[in-house]
Amino acid sequence: MASQTNCSVDIPAGRGRRILAQAAAGLLRTLWHCRFGLVDAQRRRKIVGQQARRFCEAMGPSFIKLGQLASVRPDVFAPETVFELERLQDRIAPVSTRVIREAITRQLGADPDRVFADFDDEPLAAASVAQVHRARLRQAYRPVRGAVLPAGTWVAVKVLRPGIDSIIAADLAIARRWAQRLSRFRRLARWGPIELVDEFADMLGRELDLRNEGRTADRFGHDFKDDPQVRVPRIIWRHSTSRILVSEFVEGWRLNELGAAERAGIDARRLAIHGADVFMRQVLVLGYFHADLHPANLFVTPEGQLCFLDFGIVGTTTAAQQEAIAQVLAGLVYGDAARALRYSRKLGLEIPETQVEPIRAKIEQLVHTHLLAPATADVRGFALGFLSTLTDFRVRIPAGYGLLIKALVTVEGVSHAIYPDLDLMEAAQPFATRLIAAQLMRPERLRERVAAARSAAMEALLA
Amino acid sequence: MNNFVELLAAWALFHESADEGWKAAVARGRAQTPGAMKDGPDAFVEGLAALVDEEKERLKQRLAEESTTPEKGTPSESAERLEQLGFEIAELRGQVESLQASIDGIADQLQR
Ligand SMILES: Nc1ncnc2c1ncn2[C@@H]1O[C@H](COP(=O)(O)OP(=O)(O)OP(=O)(O)O)[C@@H](O)[C@H]1O
Repeated sequence: MASQTNCSVDIPAGRGRRILAQAAAGLLRTLWHCRFGLVDAQRRRKIVGQQARRFCEAMGPSFIKLGQLASVRPDVFAPETVFELERLQDRIAPVSTRVIREAITRQLGADPDRVFADFDDEPLAAASVAQVHRARLRQAYRPVRGAVLPAGTWVAVKVLRPGIDSIIAADLAIARRWAQRLSRFRRLARWGPIELVDEFADMLGRELDLRNEGRTADRFGHDFKDDPQVRVPRIIWRHSTSRILVSEFVEGWRLNELGAAERAGIDARRLAIHGADVFMRQVLVLGYFHADLHPANLFVTPEGQLCFLDFGIVGTTTAAQQEAIAQVLAGLVYGDAARALRYSRKLGLEIPETQVEPIRAKIEQLVHTHLLAPATADVRGFALGFLSTLTDFRVRIPAGYGLLIKALVTVEGVSHAIYPDLDLMEAAQPFATRLIAAQLMRPERLRERVAAARSAAMEALLA
Repeated sequence: MNNFVELLAAWALFHESADEGWKAAVARGRAQTPGAMKDGPDAFVEGLAALVDEEKERLKQRLAEESTTPEKGTPSESAERLEQLGFEIAELRGQVESLQASIDGIADQLQR
């Protein structure tokens, strides 16, 4: 029953069986830990999440990537699973430098020692699909924005692991075959396994062409050009292809390396708030946001800037959504659950009339226990509780909505890594206010909503 | 003239949007947890005031500038447009450079 796409893909012998064996073992472990269904639903979903994470880590790159993609999709998977998958370990054994050097030579038509001034054989990082090495520019380069990068500038050379495409294609072919089998069961078909695999294949495909990431990085840097606290490495396109991305190397601390000494040198509280601001500006003004923020993708530079790396997953928002999101945020910030819910429905959350009241009551309770009552607001706890509630009430979560909530939680995590005592809700109050006002003041909004007011004013003036 | 009316319209909208429902919502939020949100409505009003002021100034300035340079747009607008254009051209250049790198790679493969 192989589909057309399967035919052209080489599936290594035994790969399907190995995956199946791992999955079966995982399933057994899950059943055991769940006491064969005797533990409560939330606990069960958490255990499933833990086992899914172990399974992904054991199965290698495509599953790690799949897990990472799943970790921003609370619309598809149970919230507890999604939060667990976030902890997926992405650091794996590096590929030998010889192989990386060959890959660069094949891609650029010259060996790394001719392309770069110094090519560091020691990898900087080895992740599931790519490996990063440091090098220096041989010639000056004029990037898409900002000043010319002089010869000798340190750069980060990100290279896709050779053969990664075929590994992923093979795994996807297996996944597709299973999806077809599963979709024959009516109960599972509702879940859309084939569409899901296709969607993941799509996202993975986009991640496997590094030029997408480079373009987003340049665009992001351009949009934040007036913000001296935001840094985005510029891309050296002359040495970049779909499989190699060369960007200026940025010195800094990863968030989990930030100690007291580092914090002392920068205004950590301001930077943490600024990080949240930057995110809000992306979501509510620019219409796209970095949806794959995690501590390894964010640096703090010695100059006290935030440096954003790795624009693999990007979410988008339309003007109408931006307005509703601002309202939801304001509702949460001011403890107004009814408002948050009303505008969530505008964002595509379909809640039957009869369930609005019980869900509102539950949200109100969550807002109080997680956001307003504690000394420091706990957005993560709130989001998990909120998504769990929706799951319990069987409310379908729209993809964009889920992505956004996940991203908001990450922003809190990031802000806390910079300044542990930050209360995001408190910091957001004046900001949420300004946002709503700014939304209402937009010319296109004015034009649309005040036609009547305008003609009345005109008449008054002419009278 | 149009901008002046827009300013009035902005004001009109403001009064319309800071409606009783919104005010009540803020008050409701406040009533739920005394203390925890004591800054809420104040911060809200302050934010609004600041924004209205900013917008007023901006509109006023645009009005003044527009009466002197009717069609071409303000110098700062032109500069911004030029910058945007510059960025887009540079983006295209980046794409071409990247294609060139790929071509070099393919050419080298063919020669081997
Ligand atoms: N421009 C840069 N300057 C400094 N370090 C960099 C730069 N680019 C990448 N790195 C280092 O390489 C690591 C991996 O890079 P990146 O996150 O882009 O790869 P990835 O394969 O997408 O990883 P992940 O799967 O974890 O997102 C980063 O965490 C960082 O330590």
